[in-house]
Amino acid sequence: MRLFLIFLRIGVMNEFQYRINLAIQLLQSLIAVGTGLVVLALIFRQTTTLSGWTQPELLVVMGVYTIVGGIVGFIIEPNMGQLMQDIRMGTFDYLLTKPADSQLLVSVRQFRLWSLTDVVVGAIVGAWGLASMSATVRPIDAAGFVVFLAAGAVLIYCVWLLITTGAFWFIRMEMVQELFQGIYRAGQYPVSIYPTWLRTILTFVLPIGFAVTFPSEALTRRATVTWGLIMIGFTVVLFAATRMVWKFGTRRYSGASA
Amino acid sequence: MSSGDSAVSGDHASIVVDGLGKTFNVPVREPGLRSAVTSLFNRKTNDVVAVDDVGFTVEAGEIVGFLGPNGAGKTTTLKMLSGLLHPSEGQASVLGYTPFDRDKEFLRQITLVMGNRNQLQWDLPALDSFEMSRAVYRIPRPEFVEQRDELIELLDLGELVSKPVRNLSLGERMKAEIANSLLHRPAVLFLDEPTLGLDVTMQRRIRSFLADYNRRHNATILLTSHYMADVEALCRRVMVINNGSLMFDGDLELLSERFGGHRTLVVTLSEPADLSTYGEVVDDSTPSRPSIRIGGDEAAAVTARLLAEQPVIDLTIEQPPIDDVIERAFGVEADTA
Amino acid sequence: MSTLRWYGDLYLTMARLAIIEQFQYRAANYMYMIGMVAEPVVYLVVWSVVATQQGGEVGGMTPRTIAAYYIVWTLVRNMNIVFTPFGWEQRIREGQLSGQLLRPLHPIHYDLAFFAGWKVVVIVMWLPIAAVLAWLFRPEIDPRLSQVAVFAVAIWGAYLIRSMLLWMLGMVTFWTTRVGAAFDFFFTAELLLSGRVVPMRLMPDWAQTLARYLPFESTFGFPITALVGPISDAELIEGLVRQAFWIVAGAVGVALMWRRATKVFTSVAG
Repeated sequence: MRLFLIFLRIGVMNEFQYRINLAIQLLQSLIAVGTGLVVLALIFRQTTTLSGWTQPELLVVMGVYTIVGGIVGFIIEPNMGQLMQDIRMGTFDYLLTKPADSQLLVSVRQFRLWSLTDVVVGAIVGAWGLASMSATVRPIDAAGFVVFLAAGAVLIYCVWLLITTGAFWFIRMEMVQELFQGIYRAGQYPVSIYPTWLRTILTFVLPIGFAVTFPSEALTRRATVTWGLIMIGFTVVLFAATRMVWKFGTRRYSGASA
Repeated sequence: MSSGDSAVSGDHASIVVDGLGKTFNVPVREPGLRSAVTSLFNRKTNDVVAVDDVGFTVEAGEIVGFLGPNGAGKTTTLKMLSGLLHPSEGQASVLGYTPFDRDKEFLRQITLVMGNRNQLQWDLPALDSFEMSRAVYRIPRPEFVEQRDELIELLDLGELVSKPVRNLSLGERMKAEIANSLLHRPAVLFLDEPTLGLDVTMQRRIRSFLADYNRRHNATILLTSHYMADVEALCRRVMVINNGSLMFDGDLELLSERFGGHRTLVVTLSEPADLSTYGEVVDDSTPSRPSIRIGGDEAAAVTARLLAEQPVIDLTIEQPPIDDVIERAFGVEADTA
Repeated sequence: MSTLRWYGDLYLTMARLAIIEQFQYRAANYMYMIGMVAEPVVYLVVWSVVATQQGGEVGGMTPRTIAAYYIVWTLVRNMNIVFTPFGWEQRIREGQLSGQLLRPLHPIHYDLAFFAGWKVVVIVMWLPIAAVLAWLFRPEIDPRLSQVAVFAVAIWGAYLIRSMLLWMLGMVTFWTTRVGAAFDFFFTAELLLSGRVVPMRLMPDWAQTLARYLPFESTFGFPITALVGPISDAELIEGLVRQAFWIVAGAVGVALMWRRATKVFTSVAG
């Protein structure tokens, strides 16, 4: 944890030298969210609900989508990108010699502070949606939201790390990012609107459904205990699997390069 | 529209430069957010003179070495002569064209090779890039094939041209790069560090190729290099530029007289003696065979005095190596990277 | 005539190189294209849900015509991929631009020919993707011969227009390097007013009117509608005329801007 804080501080200091870029990034977040809002408005010109979701509820989904996107851009994407680069350039060896857990090290080295503007903008949109909803948020809903959000972030992290460690030799880094950003767009809407086959993929293979739709469902009183438990169980299993693959992969890596 | 016989014929000057100067306007940025914001609207700038009042003439078929430390203005001058940079003042004429008009006929007759730049398609064999140059320069097919095969042979490229460029070594890539730049048989070649980073064999190969190319096609070559060997092997004439100004233009041999106006006398004595009254003693590790440094114009007088006053067995006069000359002339470490 | 033949040779040579080169990267190209499919699938599903809820139709489109729209979308989107304006900074910094300036050819021809060659690879690779999407989403499409013919022309018109638009956008880099936000504004306007997110006819009237005065629809919505319909022959002609107008305007714009841009470039960078 101390390691995390140190890296975070360095990241913050680096970024603040470019405060003007922060303003530009904020503008870009606003443009992205603004576009999403326009599309929502266009949809609700034609209809009053989308698969049972009202406009304010979809605002909440969009808020959560933006927040999760911000978290991914803040910590997951830069670290995984750096890891890919290290493996490619051969600098990964140095990391293995450091006296710290290598998985932790590669996961918290880099931060893109600007992405936090997405978290802020997403929170505002989400709050706006919540305020326009007829129902209020109970403490239990809020708690479910926080737990699901954290679990969702962990799930995305696991999948990304699995792709990175498992497939780095034939997939280029930009392609993973490209692919993720493409598919992540699906999270702008609740996964329940998609056909079953797609919903299954978006839940268990590329867990965008878990990461975006579940926290939103908690806030809009749709979450069920059963699905909550499934998600948490899935997260624990996937995290353990990722850990195993990482250990196996690094052992094989050092074996191969020695 | 043939590219061969326009503007300039054999005996004319191929490059004429007069009062050429380039001043860059460089923005100054102070640290901090406020100046970052104000600089968006109201930029402070500094004028930096890169090239100042440079003038020279190069005859067709000449090979001229362009020397000077990093940042002296060599590359800036080459860029102005090839039309990449607009001079701030003065005139330049290459093959009768004004370079920065970037006339297509002009561009068809020159080439600029920069040691650290890559024009070849990275993922394809050089042969494919050659094809592209053929199309771009409108080289008729028979001429193209002839020139291509000649270049492949002279540069000893062989099978290399059929391998993807990314699989070539630095030297092999440079040779392919040079071949690609010469397919249109340019009359004027601007070469900026063509041998940078190459091993000695490869440097030698490129050197002899350039000499050969110059002979065959009576091409004019203006060349910058960090490697003295390049210049010594290729150029009878050199130009020295420092801080943007032309400091010397003439025969390579005259360069050492002009700047390294000193000689080293190596004196063999029958018994050791103190020679510090004759000049600066630079090496007395062997007491019977000291070296002293003297000014170029006093060589005769000092030699006569030494022979008369000391027990001299043997005496040689050495000219300093050009690296030393350059170093001396600029008062900086010569870049022998 | 000889000039025309020269350009023909030039384009064929460069396009051939691009085809060879991009074919080497077919795996990467496929990944990229598959990642790109996510976007239209989302739109497709959303609008199909809306149509189903509204009794099977929204703005005259059924789920199956919506499917047709967004499957053709994937091809048109690929035709829209041209040299990115974000690439100019690197091009200037790494000296590729200097290299092109030394050659007796306007640099836009390199990009036009290169990406055109790439498109040939893309179109071939797109066919199986389209087949899978068609199998999954059951599009309804029944074009007349005139529609197919106009579509075949219009996708290349779209390609040309977007190439030149983004070239002009990219050239802004010569004057300022803080271009990211400006580019974003452009892309957002394009996204909404081209027919990419929403078929134009689902947009409010004022937006449709606005779009008529902008080039975006010519690069995206028009080619799709040309094939998917409903569209009359008169509208097909009108669309082509609009494209022709934007091609001419783009060419003039690029030429003017390029002249000024090289002045800036040759006075500071080289």
